Amino acid sequence: MILQNLSIKRKLTLITMLTSSAALVLSALSFLIYDLVSFRHLLIQDLMTQAEIIGYNSAGAMEFKDVPAATATLSALTAKEDVVTAGLYGRDSKMFAHYSRNNNVIPSLLPAHSQDKGYRFEGGYLQVFHDVTLNGERLGTLFLQSDMRQWSVRAKRYAGILCIFVLISGLFAFLVSSRLQRLISRPILHLEDTMRMVSANRNYEIRATKSYGDEIGKLIDGFNTMLSEIQQRDTALRGANDELKSRTGELEKEILHRRQTQEELLKAKHVAEEASRAKSTFLANMSHELRTPLNAIIGYSEMLEEESRESGKSDSVHDLRKIQSAGKHLLSLINDVLDLSKIEAGKMGLHLENFDVAPLIDEMTTTLQPAAAKNGNTIRLHVANNLGAMHADITKVRQILFNLLSNACKFTDHGTISVDVDQSKFEGRDWILFRVSDTGIGITAKQKENLFLEFSQADASIARKYGGTGLGLAITYRFVQLMKGRISVESEPGKGATFTVHLPAQVVAETPESARSTTSSEVAPSSEESKTRKDTILVIDDDASVRDLMSRFLGKLGFHVVAAANGEEGVRLARQVRPMVITLDVVMPECDGWTVLKKLKSDSALAEIPVIMVTIVDNEAMGLDLGASNYLIKPVDRDRLAVLIEKHRAGRPATITGATAAPFISNPPQRRRESERRASGKVDHAKDLVSRR
Amino acid sequence: MPKILLVEDNEMNRDMLSRRLQRKGYSVISAHDGEQGHLMACSEMPDLILMDISLPLMNGWEVTRLLKSNESTRHIPIIALTAHALSTDRDRAFEAGCDDYDTKPVEFARLNEKIDNLLTVKKS
Repeated sequence: MILQNLSIKRKLTLITMLTSSAALVLSALSFLIYDLVSFRHLLIQDLMTQAEIIGYNSAGAMEFKDVPAATATLSALTAKEDVVTAGLYGRDSKMFAHYSRNNNVIPSLLPAHSQDKGYRFEGGYLQVFHDVTLNGERLGTLFLQSDMRQWSVRAKRYAGILCIFVLISGLFAFLVSSRLQRLISRPILHLEDTMRMVSANRNYEIRATKSYGDEIGKLIDGFNTMLSEIQQRDTALRGANDELKSRTGELEKEILHRRQTQEELLKAKHVAEEASRAKSTFLANMSHELRTPLNAIIGYSEMLEEESRESGKSDSVHDLRKIQSAGKHLLSLINDVLDLSKIEAGKMGLHLENFDVAPLIDEMTTTLQPAAAKNGNTIRLHVANNLGAMHADITKVRQILFNLLSNACKFTDHGTISVDVDQSKFEGRDWILFRVSDTGIGITAKQKENLFLEFSQADASIARKYGGTGLGLAITYRFVQLMKGRISVESEPGKGATFTVHLPAQVVAETPESARSTTSSEVAPSSEESKTRKDTILVIDDDASVRDLMSRFLGKLGFHVVAAANGEEGVRLARQVRPMVITLDVVMPECDGWTVLKKLKSDSALAEIPVIMVTIVDNEAMGLDLGASNYLIKPVDRDRLAVLIEKHRAGRPATITGATAAPFISNPPQRRRESERRASGKVDHAKDLVSRR
Repeated sequence: MPKILLVEDNEMNRDMLSRRLQRKGYSVISAHDGEQGHLMACSEMPDLILMDISLPLMNGWEVTRLLKSNESTRHIPIIALTAHALSTDRDRAFEAGCDDYDTKPVEFARLNEKIDNLLTVKKS
């Protein structure tokens, strides 16, 4: 509908105009109709009165059949403009006389016969029939016909006036309504404008102005309230957004910071690991360097003791024993340091075997009897009957017991040392329990905190009074851990201490060695496929010029050279190519030569390949320790290198047969005996040494 | 009188060990580096070799490998002596073909027992 889409302004104007015009037209029409009806009635009355008068006047003429007189009477109708025709009919209803406004009118217009009296409308004319009577006697009928001219003139005028009036009033209504509609339309349009502005500019600060207190005013109020609400939310949202942005910024900074910290930590970790490795290496080297002269000291003193005894000079025997004892003490300290460095370097493996617990305890108590006697202590044994065998590293179990017992002896004076050995079952496993209690000086709660830490003794005065390195318990603790056991201590200062060790009856080896063997067995099938290349040499060096020189030099000697620029690639190529010999640099980025060497030697498929270290680092002991066959220092003596490689070419297959022919395969117990002896040897010389904590 | 070849680079240890072995009634010859050790083993054909591992020119593992790969010398028992007390050393000693192994400083009585054992095995 077109009307519906008109603007509210137009609509209002139109509604007002239509309403007022309709009301006006309706009222005017009703008035007009009423007027015209009553006017017609008036005309009828008038014409009937006229007929009565003329009838009365023409009665005489009718009586006497005087046509001219009757015609003359009728002519009086000339004064009446609207009477068109008139006629007189006799008793026989025949035309007696007639009148016509225009004389030439054909009398046929008149009805031929008189009709019943009264009025009727016929063909736009008003006709009146009237009886002409004289003294009550009917003489004939008078007929009058009017054309209602006055009425139609009046009707036409009225119509004209009505039209003009409607026009004028319409115009007036238009003027008035177009002014008055603003009362309603202006605030609505203003509201609409405001809305458009708000949505176009997204400016929620604009407000619509309220003009009146009507419903539109309330609408505007509501709109404004809504706007304020939106504005508030918008502000809050923007605030939240800003906050979010700043938080995101902070988070990004935080992340960056963390990443930096992480990198720093990683670097620090590398440095620490490097330092730790350096420490382990240092310790390994130091112990080697210390043992060599110690070897001489102990050996010569033993020799002299024998000689003195044989030649009867028994007075020097005692002093020579002291030298030996001190030397062996020093050796055990070195061994402890080495043990600890091995544990820290993750090189301490477990040599698991089955052994009976009870004989071990007997052996240990016997061994420590002299140490106990020294301070006047007695050792009491409580060993459960049904202990049976355990599967563990006997050397380490021995050392654990030795450390605990010798500590107990050392810190107890004229007291009792109890050794309880029993078995228990918890967490679904069998455990062997060792408990060593003494009645000595005990340990304070504070001392307990650092008890199992390396190089920490209860306090400095202890070290002065009792000696020791502070390694004994640290090693004990690590060994217990290594075998997945537990160690705990209870003590009351001045009354003694109780150390309790739980070891699994069946220790499961979970050492780096066993982990390694699984990895290497995974790798083995693929590497077994490729056969060792008899004449291939793998050169691992990060320096391109070295690789080039080596390639040329070895190439001249008739070898096929494969080169790797870094450690990872070197190990990969070694697996792939299975070279006859590997030459290896130490100082390389990321994965250094030591690491590469360890990787090569821990892979059963590669362990047999001889590795010649070619480096500027002067640390032959480290290289040989880790399994290198030879150690050359840069700049390389080419002839020496050639000789070494030649030797490996010649010796390699024989080495393999030599190894398989080695007696230990055919005679495995010998190997075990050796390990036992080694461990017991440690105990032997420990008899004399001053115990340590 | 069984002949023992002592391959040891440290002069003091060499002197001390050889004297003590001699006192036990062995005839002792000694070498101060790996190459000399190898040569002497081949020329002198000792009854047993005490082999230090950290040796100049050629290390103990290599000398052992060479001797064990040589038909004429492979029967000679070799006891490796090492100052390295790493557990891998023991395994490597046997891998290289050593017949026994001991750590330095030498526990003389223990070493003597090992020597006796190997010589008895050899005789039988």
